[in-house]
Amino acid sequence: MALFELKDFSFKYPFGEDYALKRINLTIEKGEFITICGDSGSGKTTLMRQLKPVLAPHGEKEGELLYEERDINRLDLREQASKIGYVLQNPDNQIVTDKVWHELAFGLESLGYDAAEIRLKVGEMASFFGIQHWFHKKVIELSGGQKQLLNLASIMAMQPEVIILDEPTSQLDPVGAINFLDTIKKINRDLGITILIAEHRLEEILPMSDRVFVIDGGKLLIDATPTQAGRLLKEMNHPMFYAMPSSMQIVSHMVQDEYPLTIREGRQSIERYFKNKEIRVPRLEKSHKPASDKKAIEFKHVYFKYEKEGPDIISDLSFSVNEGEFYGLLGGNGTGKTTTLNLVGGMLKPHHGKINLAKKRIVTLPQNPQALFVKKTVLEDLRDIAKDKDAIDRVTKLTHMAYLLKAHPYDLSGGEQQRLALAKILLLEPQILLLDEPTKGMDAYFKRQLAQILRELTSKGVTILMVSHDIEFCAQYVDRCGMFFNGDLISEAPSNIFFSRNSFYTTSSNRMSRFVFENGVTIKDVITLWEKNKA
Amino acid sequence: MVDCFEKYHPVVNFVYFFAVIIFAMFFLHPVYMALSLSGACIYSIMLNGKKALKFNLVYMLPSMLVLACVNPLFNHEGMTILFYLKDGNPFTLESIIYGIVSATMIINVIIWFSCHNQIMSSDKIMYLFGKVIPASSLIFSMVLRFVPLYKARIKTISNAQKCIGNDVSQGNVLRRARNGLKILSIMVTWSLESSIETADSMKARGYGLKGRTAFSIYKMTLKDKVVIGLLAILIALVAMGACSGLIYVNYFPRIQFTPVTVWSSFVFISYFLLCYMPIFLNIYDEIMWRISGQNV
Amino acid sequence: MGKEQGVKRLSKRTLVEAFFILLIIPLTIFWGLTVLDDRKYYFISMLIIFYTMLPFFMVFEGRKPKARELMVIAVLVAIAVAGRWAFFMLPQFKPVVAIVIIAGVCLGAESGFLVGAMSGFVSNFLFGQGPWTPWQMFSFGIIGFLAGILFKKGLLKKNGWIYLYLCVFGGLSTLLIYGPLMNTQSMLAATGQFTLELLIIYCLSGLPFDLIHAFATVFFLLILSKPMIEKIERVKIKYGLIE
Repeated sequence: MALFELKDFSFKYPFGEDYALKRINLTIEKGEFITICGDSGSGKTTLMRQLKPVLAPHGEKEGELLYEERDINRLDLREQASKIGYVLQNPDNQIVTDKVWHELAFGLESLGYDAAEIRLKVGEMASFFGIQHWFHKKVIELSGGQKQLLNLASIMAMQPEVIILDEPTSQLDPVGAINFLDTIKKINRDLGITILIAEHRLEEILPMSDRVFVIDGGKLLIDATPTQAGRLLKEMNHPMFYAMPSSMQIVSHMVQDEYPLTIREGRQSIERYFKNKEIRVPRLEKSHKPASDKKAIEFKHVYFKYEKEGPDIISDLSFSVNEGEFYGLLGGNGTGKTTTLNLVGGMLKPHHGKINLAKKRIVTLPQNPQALFVKKTVLEDLRDIAKDKDAIDRVTKLTHMAYLLKAHPYDLSGGEQQRLALAKILLLEPQILLLDEPTKGMDAYFKRQLAQILRELTSKGVTILMVSHDIEFCAQYVDRCGMFFNGDLISEAPSNIFFSRNSFYTTSSNRMSRFVFENGVTIKDVITLWEKNKA
Repeated sequence: MVDCFEKYHPVVNFVYFFAVIIFAMFFLHPVYMALSLSGACIYSIMLNGKKALKFNLVYMLPSMLVLACVNPLFNHEGMTILFYLKDGNPFTLESIIYGIVSATMIINVIIWFSCHNQIMSSDKIMYLFGKVIPASSLIFSMVLRFVPLYKARIKTISNAQKCIGNDVSQGNVLRRARNGLKILSIMVTWSLESSIETADSMKARGYGLKGRTAFSIYKMTLKDKVVIGLLAILIALVAMGACSGLIYVNYFPRIQFTPVTVWSSFVFISYFLLCYMPIFLNIYDEIMWRISGQNV
Repeated sequence: MGKEQGVKRLSKRTLVEAFFILLIIPLTIFWGLTVLDDRKYYFISMLIIFYTMLPFFMVFEGRKPKARELMVIAVLVAIAVAGRWAFFMLPQFKPVVAIVIIAGVCLGAESGFLVGAMSGFVSNFLFGQGPWTPWQMFSFGIIGFLAGILFKKGLLKKNGWIYLYLCVFGGLSTLLIYGPLMNTQSMLAATGQFTLELLIIYCLSGLPFDLIHAFATVFFLLILSKPMIEKIERVKIKYGLIE
């Protein structure tokens, strides 16, 4: 018996002109692990919400949507609440109560279990997730990743048949995200619970998935295994292919009909290909000439700590960024990256050492775009910063916001909100732009757009200093990278050299190809190297 | 130190503080007030350390003096006239004493409340009201979730605004106020809009189904039952004593105590035990721990 | 349908209220006057306050409010409390009354009362409970309730002046409801007596604080009321509270 079955299902929003979902046919069997891909605005969220009727938006529906062969709307509310679990994107917004124990019990309270049963179920779940020592904690004391695990656990306590997750890791750092996805995998593998997940981190999620749904423009474009999905996307020459794992993108280019999902498989394919072949061109020659040799930011033996008695967060930090350069600071959590950004921004002052800034107008793009939205429409919000009409025109054009000027900032999608925040910042005409995790929660398409905008800025002489966890993004677009550890830079180089030197903290392409090529850092690098060596 | 009274069942805590605070408001008998006040002070020091005492002395004593002096200015009852005020009204010893007694009463109540605030955690309040007024209790829990979240948001927003040049700590008052309000306004929008997702999360977990229960982490143990029994006996004795007028003091026109009897000393001892109950429970706990030899 | 329900709801509350006013409150006063001596005024007043708040909570619970209704109330209470925290360095400069009034206007009299009473309770939970808690809950609550009755939403759309009236109402209610009630509580707590002379003295000594508080309320209403009402209305539409 199929868990979900959609037959010619279409959906239209009340004021929408076009259908948001168009004649979708699909089935989901019990115990399956299914990944949904699609750009933002493709209809992923709309589709997933239809599967949980209390969350489904109002609108016209056509066709059939069956849960266990019954019309989903005839499912009684109690069954629906307990059987279909739904995890939303933002870890903070989903938590209702102030204590972990209460949050875990929330759903069971709704279902009307008595205290003894709740104690048992909650205890069981807390032990399964290994969160029993958080039990008495306040929610506010948890990290983002822990909060999202709590959300998952509080749904699991209700013993659902299926869990639907809408980009659950987009607000988490890489460590938290991997941990979360591992837990999802465990739930599917050890408990047999059906998983339906929308996720940007395809590299991690595809190897776990049984099937992939690709949604495009409200249509179900592909319903296949991950490998087949890759093949189909490549054959269609679909832009979604560039969101697929690097191993698939590289190897499918080199070898006919091979679509590996993991780095291990990718590496094996590459090594198999070059077995007994001579590598004539092991490295790409890249020029690393800085755009300018004038220093825009210069740190000289800088020390910083928050409290007099506390440890140094930044110790003996010296580095510089040139004018018009795009510089990326990488490293784990709590190593002092964001502190460095705040030192440049002037929010913090060092207790030793010197910071020279050649330019005056320094602005920071905050991690949460919401922290900047003041007005009712995008246009008014931009006018709040600068009245000059030409400037607004220029910026909206650069950030592709022109068609959104009348919208309310909170009606924009995540990526659009990021762009609006960036547009507001750009109206201040920064000479030095500081970015804190700008790619968080962005899909591949928005990342490319962002990179384009940033390129254009640097070409006009704007200096950009970015803090990021996003290795792939840094490798592709950043001029120079620095690795932060324990309050200091431990390595610094032009990004190509930087990543080719690292062995763990580097791009997937490099991890796959480093045994064959010396500096295949990006997908493009590896493919170019292959082209040069294949003949 | 770790307080053991806090670990008792919320009903025990609630009944205890309810009784002690009501009694503290009621009894204006100096000896009974001394009992209650000393109990409150010792327990408050056990809970909050010496800082609590210092706070009490620095803030409470002056207000006590003021009250003691103000009362006779408006209250002219009493027989022992010290002198006459300019408007011809008498200034009496009884009213000074009554002023001191009233002030002590307030201080006593406030100190008991400070202990109550330490012991009655949000979880306990949730337990007590969760079954009676479930929706309001849930709002309480939600507010306690949101307040720190919004505080963090205020900080995030204020930082972000600083980054784009709207600094609350700089500029003249007008500019600062404008930036402060901007921060508040951004916080309001952010919070209202994000609450839609929170409501979704409640719905997704079945909020609104019939027959919702209220879970709590508390279990009534034998120890709790014994303490509740003790509490009930002590409260009953003290209340009976109060009803039969044993704890009553007449301040006007002349200060008059009721004579000491066997029954009244019984009530007195009960009140002493009641006010010192958390302290004794802590001592008992300490002794049991020592006897068990775990701390070797 | 909605209107009918509203009438029914109101009548239910009126019924409970009437029961309290006609029966329980006189009984309490009688009991207090005959049995209690020195502390009678304090206890009688506290019990009356308790009785007046009870029906609001009972009706709210009996109505089984929906998730989004709880959510809007909780968000507004949290904003009021966090707002009080944000301006803690300015004594008496609190946005609580302003936000309670806005809540009353946007969500109606009953929810206005709840937002007020809960704001009083939670802020005291965080800043320290005391014998003043019920008084504060009642004072905030009744201001929210009155705001809901006096300012129907329809009026706001028609008349731009209404925002000015809102400010006037805010200032007056802080000065004439919140201030005197809280001064009465400190008087009763400190002296146990209730005389007009004492009340005037307590009100006069509290006047500077009440004036600052009233000024703060007007200030916050002047600046926050319009945008905040718009924001709440927008979210209500998004929630589907208004079709």
